[in-house]
Amino acid sequence: MRASSREETPDRTAGRRRSILFLVRFVVLLGLFALLVAWKPVNDAVIVPFTGGVAHASAAVLNLFSEGVTVQGTELRAQGFGVDVENGCNGIETALLFGAAVLAFPASWRARLIGLVAGFAAIQALNLVRVVTLFWIGRHRPALFSTAHTVLWQSVVVLAGVMLFLLWASRQKAPPQAAA
Amino acid sequence: MIVRGAIGFAVGLGLWLALAPPYERALAGAAETILRIGERPAVTRLEAKSGEIIVERGDFPPAAPRPGLPAADLHFNFVILAALFALVPPFRPGRAAIGAAILFAVHVFALCCQVESLYATRLGPWSEAHYGTFSRNFWASAFHVYQIAVRFAAPFAIWWPLGGWESEQQGRQKREEKADRLANRKKKKSRGRTIES
Repeated sequence: MRASSREETPDRTAGRRRSILFLVRFVVLLGLFALLVAWKPVNDAVIVPFTGGVAHASAAVLNLFSEGVTVQGTELRAQGFGVDVENGCNGIETALLFGAAVLAFPASWRARLIGLVAGFAAIQALNLVRVVTLFWIGRHRPALFSTAHTVLWQSVVVLAGVMLFLLWASRQKAPPQAAA
Repeated sequence: MIVRGAIGFAVGLGLWLALAPPYERALAGAAETILRIGERPAVTRLEAKSGEIIVERGDFPPAAPRPGLPAADLHFNFVILAALFALVPPFRPGRAAIGAAILFAVHVFALCCQVESLYATRLGPWSEAHYGTFSRNFWASAFHVYQIAVRFAAPFAIWWPLGGWESEQQGRQKREEKADRLANRKKKKSRGRTIES
């Protein structure tokens, strides 16, 4: 008699339990990280300067295409158009999501560290593309800016974060059954 | 995985664009019902109009402008959820429907927090007269946390127990199978060489 794929095997039960533990750890860590970055001293000392860095890097890339962009704080300006890079546009939220998932997942600290560094770099690289293209769209195709900003790019960056996590997680060794 | 995600994203985006107006009406109706439960007298009315949720109160002066809350910011993460459900084969419509229903509940909760945050912090002297310091901080923080973390993480947190964790296992299984196949091929080759020599 063939076992149905829906049948609960010990492996599957252990996997489900491991997944629920992961989810609990993920939610707790994400909550802590969200509170940390929302805390004014951290926001002022870390997040705002970092966002300014994102704005400067974006301006440098845009100026390679002769867009004539200047930066003031977190604001990008060019003739007839300007945007303020705010929280939500600096890739920090996706990095927090990715970081919480990597730290919550059962893996060695070395693997976690490599995942965090590589994932953060990849998310920021993608976010740079996002800010640059959004600025270009806002300046040259303003009718598309709102949809591109709210739905397309936000979703793409979050999805990229999730897929990076899945890629990283699939490379980690399965824990021994006794420990699961 | 990227192709499946991209297809799911495109389908989700199409559904989101097509269903946004009725979805926003349902969202406004559900949030209004919940908000009115906690009000004495029940005065809040929410109306979905041109991509905004218009907040109307029975006790607002007739000439005062009615605040509008951008609705897309609240529920764009439906597209992320759709893409995530498409990532793991086979696509399970039942689980996707459960996920969508949970996300709807999250959106209703977020809209309630946003309206309360508006009442508590953005109506000047009226806010100060009707909300204490704790309430003002609580509602403002609740909506802020939704904006900076929950709206991005909710699709992942909903999808993971409904099948996402299986994708992580499938990915690992595939990788291990591939490694086994490579190891077997190497063994066969080395055995062949030994026989030849």
